[in-house]
Amino acid sequence: MGAYMKTGIIMLGLVILSYISLYFFGSDTIFVALKDSFKTLKELSFVFAVVFVMMFIIDMFIDDKKIAKYFDTKSGVKAYFIALIGGILSHGSSYAWYPLLQSLREKGIKDSLLVTFLYARSIKLPWLPMMIVYFGTGFTIILMFYIMVGSLLQGFIVKKLYEE
Amino acid sequence: MKDRIKKSLKKAFISLAKITPMILAVIGLVGLFEAYVTPKMLQSLFNGSLIHDELIGIVAGAVSIGQPFLSYIIGGELLKDGVSYYAVTAFILSFVTLGVIQLPLQIEIFGKRFTTIVNVLSLIFSVIVSVATVWTLKVWGLI
Repeated sequence: MGAYMKTGIIMLGLVILSYISLYFFGSDTIFVALKDSFKTLKELSFVFAVVFVMMFIIDMFIDDKKIAKYFDTKSGVKAYFIALIGGILSHGSSYAWYPLLQSLREKGIKDSLLVTFLYARSIKLPWLPMMIVYFGTGFTIILMFYIMVGSLLQGFIVKKLYEE
Repeated sequence: MKDRIKKSLKKAFISLAKITPMILAVIGLVGLFEAYVTPKMLQSLFNGSLIHDELIGIVAGAVSIGQPFLSYIIGGELLKDGVSYYAVTAFILSFVTLGVIQLPLQIEIFGKRFTTIVNVLSLIFSVIVSVATVWTLKVWGLI
């Protein structure tokens, strides 16, 4: 069992305990809370199905190791776009990525490219359906666009300030 | 190919199964939050001023931990309760890009200089990106 799952189980246990405690303290509002929770769960169940499919597709067709290797091979503006796309397509925990990125730095990859890559990782493709459900398609597209612009700008800022 | 499909299906299933307890916990918390925290209470924390709301959103996101989708659920519920788009967008961005909890690990792996650059830029861009997003939404009449 992973650490994240353990934390989740402890968290869930604490939440269930809170519900039980509030029930025994005689709070009727607890039924409103329970109803709200089931409503949210019902609303999100379809999203989880879509997330599952997206996780499957991404794992099936995208190889993280190849991404890291690929943005090593390009230079100039092209390299920043590769780092950007790599960041968007990369998946898995940041903790898993850090040692790999550090080893790329040691091999000579520019910090500016890693900055672009790391900020682009804030776009989580499998979870976009959930963002659309909560915030709408317009919000999601605009936010993703600005994150991409922000990723590139950060890379250029680091390049100008530290690498030229 | 069959094996690859099987492997990817299994991996997707395990990934989702691993986060299910946390998802259920957050949904349970959201229920409690909606029932016990009134919009009036939230408005006292987020007062509608751009700078104030941005700041609260960023700090809340930076000290929070968990998978990014949690910020979507929490942010979405905050929005339903009348919290401004500025605060919610800043919260989502800083939740995903800043991590106070991760700082020691980042420093250990990347060193102080690189970690500082990454986090300072992420902080600045949480403000820029959230303001730009909300302004664009307003200009286009989407909110």
